[in-house]
Amino acid sequence: MKQTEDEKRAICLYHVPTGIHLESFCERRVDTPHGQYRLQQPQLTEERLKEICQQVLAQRENYLAQLSTDEIVRKIDAAVQLWLDPQYELRQIAEQVLPVITGYNPEMIRLELKKLMRTFRKKELLRFLDEEFDQAGVLDGFRPRKSGGMSRAFGPHLIFHIFSGNVPGLPIWSLIMGLLLKSANVGKSSSSEPLMAALFCQTLAEVDTMLANALAVLPWKGGTLEFEDAVMDQAEAVIVYGSNETVERVRERARSHTQVLSYGHKVSFAMIGREALSTDRFYDTVHRFAEDVSVYDQQSCLSPQSVFVEEGGALSAQQFAQMLGAELQRYQEKRPRAKLTDAESLAIRTVRNQYEFASMNDQQVAVYASKTGTEWTVIYHAQPGFEASPLNRTVHVYACQTVEEGIQHVKRYREYLQSAGLAVGPERLLQIAARLGEAGVNRITAIGQMTRAQAGWHHDGRFNLLDLVRWTDIEGSAENLAELYDPDVE
Amino acid sequence: MRPESNKIIEEILHYINRFAGADSLSSETDEAFNELALQLFRFQFQWNQPFKKYCQARRKSPLTVTKWQDIPPLPFQAFKELTLSCEPVEEAQAVFMTSGSTNPEKKGRHYHPTFRVWDASMAMPFHRYVMPDQEKMTIYVISPAEDVNQNSSLARYLSMAVQRYGREDSAFFFHKESGLDMEDLATRLKNCQMRDEPLLLMGATFSYVHFLDYCREHNLRFQLPKGSRIFDTGGLKGQSREVTAEELYGGFQEFFHVKRELCINMYGMTELCSQMYDRTIETYLSQGKPVFDKIGPAWIRTQILNSDTLEPLPDGETGIIAHYDLANWNSSLAILTEDIGYKTQHGFVLLGRAKGSESRGCSIAIDQMMQANSKVDERI
Repeated sequence: MKQTEDEKRAICLYHVPTGIHLESFCERRVDTPHGQYRLQQPQLTEERLKEICQQVLAQRENYLAQLSTDEIVRKIDAAVQLWLDPQYELRQIAEQVLPVITGYNPEMIRLELKKLMRTFRKKELLRFLDEEFDQAGVLDGFRPRKSGGMSRAFGPHLIFHIFSGNVPGLPIWSLIMGLLLKSANVGKSSSSEPLMAALFCQTLAEVDTMLANALAVLPWKGGTLEFEDAVMDQAEAVIVYGSNETVERVRERARSHTQVLSYGHKVSFAMIGREALSTDRFYDTVHRFAEDVSVYDQQSCLSPQSVFVEEGGALSAQQFAQMLGAELQRYQEKRPRAKLTDAESLAIRTVRNQYEFASMNDQQVAVYASKTGTEWTVIYHAQPGFEASPLNRTVHVYACQTVEEGIQHVKRYREYLQSAGLAVGPERLLQIAARLGEAGVNRITAIGQMTRAQAGWHHDGRFNLLDLVRWTDIEGSAENLAELYDPDVE
Repeated sequence: MRPESNKIIEEILHYINRFAGADSLSSETDEAFNELALQLFRFQFQWNQPFKKYCQARRKSPLTVTKWQDIPPLPFQAFKELTLSCEPVEEAQAVFMTSGSTNPEKKGRHYHPTFRVWDASMAMPFHRYVMPDQEKMTIYVISPAEDVNQNSSLARYLSMAVQRYGREDSAFFFHKESGLDMEDLATRLKNCQMRDEPLLLMGATFSYVHFLDYCREHNLRFQLPKGSRIFDTGGLKGQSREVTAEELYGGFQEFFHVKRELCINMYGMTELCSQMYDRTIETYLSQGKPVFDKIGPAWIRTQILNSDTLEPLPDGETGIIAHYDLANWNSSLAILTEDIGYKTQHGFVLLGRAKGSESRGCSIAIDQMMQANSKVDERI
């Protein structure tokens, strides 16, 4: 009895196909309000990694590649359904352990994880497939083309995922993409969130061991080149999340015919029109935006770092900044921000100091900030501009006569722009969106929803699955010629 | 200068002379330190308007502050953004500027209406921590001194050291037009080897890195006389090339034949008027066993603060460093740095600058944005 309890307390931060034998592990103990857990991670070697790659590749060929897309979707859905049950054991473990290893507020993790999982249900996956392929059947067999002939799409045999750890659970999305393409997957998890990818694979194994045998998730120290190379040598595609340096390094080392998709650092912002600041609307607007700033402490590339606020509403831009401060304080009391490193706190203090000193001689700026620590910071600017923030609930508020004024300030950061949260009337939405799209923004969303992308979105402005597949065409001539060889032909 | 300034200067000079033999850890000076710190705080609160505003925003004033630890340390960035001087700046005898490496447009400025306190604060600790066993030494200076840069506190420091404690054959090797004359330095070091008297090399940490490269390239090794020592300041961070402290001290041993116990790092800032030192030489010469922690004179106190709340931390815990320097009479006696370190029973350990904080996420870091920005500017 005692031993089973002990076993329950051991969590594998990895997943490998059955048959792979890992000998040595290192263990990290984490104390949660629900007791201590032991997080186990294997000590890897190049040879072992190569063996794992071969194993998942073999499993893909023998099993995963034979499944229909519908069957795969059903199996993923079954795993997601387990996670949507609050009593599911692995979900409970995630809810207990993630706050400790990431520092994020437990309640926030519970809510966001649930919302994330819902985006992977069957109907969302089907929508996602339809979004990218006219008919998802092309993943299962040759389908006729409108222009004649037939085509079929093949996913990469092996996808190597290099995850980042800022938002818990995001790696699951990447793994699901790989499964939908019938690819074998090897994921390198991030040391700041090594848990969710491994747990989800374990759930898939509960649903279908054979399916999960085409997957591996392993943690190792970022930038360990011999490990990276060992997987990269066998991978047909690499999906890398992280800093521009990481992305560059991977691109440089990838073989010339390896497909590399990268999701590098990005910046997002919001625009609030005066119509969203009317007497009956302004509180809701402030509340929604405070939520965008607070969720996952602004660590997501979808989180806003600046907001343009239009003058002329019931609330001036400066009053908006003050109210936003009060709302961030309320959020802090409800869901406190993670504890920061010295460097992170200092980065916030530096920005605060800079603008506080500037404000002593200049009424154009003002700093509103949490009293004791660095929990939240709002920097008000009387003129439009654009600046990235040191994150962790630090945001710039720019006053403008029309929100459109902000566009010329953001467009110089074109290559970094991600989402824009908009709160404007319907007659302005399309017009502003068009100009933002032109400026480089790839996602327009409602404020209050900025950190939650919809299933099937064009991540960083591109296709997800389509960018990974390879097509085989049967031209009309081959079809016609084949008819000729029909022994029963007239 | 206003009479109040003269009065506070006399008080500080009196304190410096009275406790010349003590250090920043000496508890017998606690009471006098507190008293003078509060007096100086009142003075600065009255005459330094931006400092007053900063304190008021934190609800601190001479009425509410009863011990020096409660004086809010002014972030060093303030020297870039604000004019911090109790005396009119037009009458300053000199202004020291920071290097402005992050933004050349914005250099920190520290105004010095007189050098009386600065000089008194510099002299004694230098002697005590760098050359307690010598009255004068031959000093070779390999970084810009006062003749090269009038606006650098380090330049003035190096010139002062030579002026007060240098023998006649001391020399400066960094020239305004040509930079560090490595060839000349190498020749002079070679000649030194024959002598009996020890030599003191002084300069910015990275000047040594460049000279060691030169020695490696030209296959030069020097057997400096026994008792010779190496003084460096500024640290190794923030340079284009990564060099570790081990590599540097290894280089000193290999190329100059100076062992670790006779190497000393000085920790100073443009924003301060006093300096702090490694205790290596002082302790090695007196006890035979070196202590590597840092210490300062009796008119400075170092606090380690929680980087998030700025509350003081107990010994051993790592945090952000603040200095309370009574010699800083014209600006702000309390300065908040961006340095990270921890206290020990022998002083404090400097871990380096908390810079380039890596964001955990995929959000773009500020530095990268600034780079992108300047790139666009170049294109236009």
